[in-house]
Amino acid sequence: MIFSNDNKDDDRPARQEGKESGCQSGNCSCNKKEDGIQQVMNKPTDRREALKKLTMGFLAGTGFVAASCSPTAGDDKKEKAQLDWEEFFKGNYQLMDDDEKQATVNRLERLYELNVGRKINVLANGPEKDVLYGYAFNISKCQGYMDCVNACVKENNQDRASQMQYIRIHEHQNGSMDFELADDNYYHEVPAAGHFYIGTQCFHCENPPCVDVCPVKATWKEKDGIVVIDYDWCIGCRYCMAACPYDGRRFNWATPEVPKEEVNNNQHYLGNRLRKKGVMEKCTFCIQRTRTGKNPACVEACPTGARIFGNLLDPTSEIRWILANKKVFRLKEDLGTEPKFWYFMD
Amino acid sequence: MDTNIIVNKRMISLKTIFKIALLLSLFLVYHSCTTSQHEESGNQVMEHTSIGERVKKFNDSIHYSISTANTLQQLKMVLAVIHDTVSFLIPERASQIQSFPCTNCHSKPIKQLSLGRKENERKAHWDVTMVHGSSEVMNCMTCHNEANLDELTSLTNKQIVFDQSFKLCGQCHSTQYKDWVGGSHGKRLGGWAPPKIINSCTNCHNPHKPAFESRWPARLNTVSNSKTNPD
Repeated sequence: MIFSNDNKDDDRPARQEGKESGCQSGNCSCNKKEDGIQQVMNKPTDRREALKKLTMGFLAGTGFVAASCSPTAGDDKKEKAQLDWEEFFKGNYQLMDDDEKQATVNRLERLYELNVGRKINVLANGPEKDVLYGYAFNISKCQGYMDCVNACVKENNQDRASQMQYIRIHEHQNGSMDFELADDNYYHEVPAAGHFYIGTQCFHCENPPCVDVCPVKATWKEKDGIVVIDYDWCIGCRYCMAACPYDGRRFNWATPEVPKEEVNNNQHYLGNRLRKKGVMEKCTFCIQRTRTGKNPACVEACPTGARIFGNLLDPTSEIRWILANKKVFRLKEDLGTEPKFWYFMD
Repeated sequence: MDTNIIVNKRMISLKTIFKIALLLSLFLVYHSCTTSQHEESGNQVMEHTSIGERVKKFNDSIHYSISTANTLQQLKMVLAVIHDTVSFLIPERASQIQSFPCTNCHSKPIKQLSLGRKENERKAHWDVTMVHGSSEVMNCMTCHNEANLDELTSLTNKQIVFDQSFKLCGQCHSTQYKDWVGGSHGKRLGGWAPPKIINSCTNCHNPHKPAFESRWPARLNTVSNSKTNPD
C-alpha cells in the first residue's frame, strides 16, 4: 500500500468507535444471546410504557406532517417541511428522469435559500456527446506551489474545519518513486533542489473498483468517464474508500463547514453542492465546470501548466497529443483499473 | 404469575403491531413499484473496458455543442499559425507592453539617445535585468531590431511582430516550441472545449528572465497534519 501514512490517520476514529460500541444493550450480564429485532421485541416493558413510546413516535411523525399542514405555522416553515419531506423520499439520481432531476435541483436551491438566505445555482446537466475526459500531469513542470489545492478547496466547497483536500502533492527525492518515502508535508520554499513533485487525486478509472463495491449504487461512472457520488444516496459505509487503490476518496466525519460568504454558488448535483455528515466525496474533475466546457479548477490555477485536461475521443486535443508523443505512465497499471490520469515528463 | 401475564400480553401486542407495520411496508413497496415508470438511465457501465480500445473504436467527427468563447470576452486575441497546418488563438501582446510603441522614445538611433544622458541619470530600462543565456550567446539586439524597435528580429534578420514572439523563442527552444504546438507545454485558457486559446511564451515567462523562481507554497499541508496529529 503506497499511501499508508494517510490511511493510518483515517483509521483512527473508526477504532475509537469500535471500543465505545462494545456493549450497547446494557445487559451484558444475562446469558441469553439476542440479536437484532429480538433485542427490541423482548425487552421487558409494561403496557403503559409501550403505549407511551408508541404515542411519542406517533407525535414525532405527525409533527412533521403537522408543520406542513398547520394553519398557524409560517409559510416558510410549511414550505420547508414540505420540501424536506419530498427530498427525503426522492430516489437514486441514476433512476431519475430529467424532470425529476430538475425537481430535486429546484428543491435544493429553494431549501438553501430558506435556510441560509442566499441563492445558489445547482446544475443537473448530463454528459456531453462524444466526450471522454482525460487528464495528464507533467512531473517535470510541477513545482509544488500548491495553488491547485487552494483552488480545489475553494471551487468544491470542501470542509474548512478538517482541511479536506482532494489533491495531494507528494515531494519525491530525485531517483525514487516510492510513495512511502515521499514527503507530503513539506515546509520549505519550492521547488527544493534534488526533488520533484507528483500530484494525486481521483483518477476516474475506466474500471473503478470503488463503484463495484458500493452496496447501494450511490457511486457510478458517467458516460463521459467521470466517477460521481450521489451524496443523498451514500450511506457512508466507506467500502469505496477501502477499495480505492489510489487514496482518491475522502469521508466527511463531521458536517462540512464552509463560511457562508465563501460558498461557491455555481454547483452541480453530482459535484460541489454542499455535502452532509457521513458521506463520501472526492474529485469530480469539477463536473460543474467541465460539463460547460471549462477546465477543472486545478488546471486553471496551476501557474506552471503542469496540468492538462481534455477529451480523449478528440484526436486534435492536447491530451491525445501527449498520449501519442510523450512517454506516459499511470500509477499501479497492473491492477487493470485503467485510470484516465497519466503522468509524463518533458 | 401476574407479571408473566402482563409480559405475554405486551409481547403479543408488540408483535401484532410489528406484523401490521410489515404488511404496510410491503404494500408501500408494491405500490411504488407498480406506479413508478422509471427506466434505468443506463449511466452505469459495468463491464471491464480498456480506454485504448474505446478510443480506437471511436471514429465519428465531433461537433461540440459547448463553447468557452463567452468566458474570455475581455481578452484580446490573435491567431497563431504554425507551418500553415496548425492554428490556434493566443493573447494579444503589444498592448500589454508598457510604453508600446517603442518608437515613442526611440525616435533616434540608440547611440544618439544615450549621448544626451547625464552622468548620474538612471538608464531608461533600469528595471530590465538580463538573466537569459550568456553574453556570448545573446544580447539585446539578438531579439530586438535596432532599425525598428517596434518589432523583433529573427536570427536571419527577418522582422517578427511582438504578438508573434513565439516564432522568436522557437528559434533556440525548439523542444519547448514543439511541445507548445502539440499541447504539453504551456497553458490553455478558457477551457478544454473550443475555441483553443493557449498562453504564448511571454504570458508565463518574462523574456528577460525566463526561469521560474522558487517561492513558498500557496498553502502548507503541515498545518492540517499538526491539527489531526496532536503528538
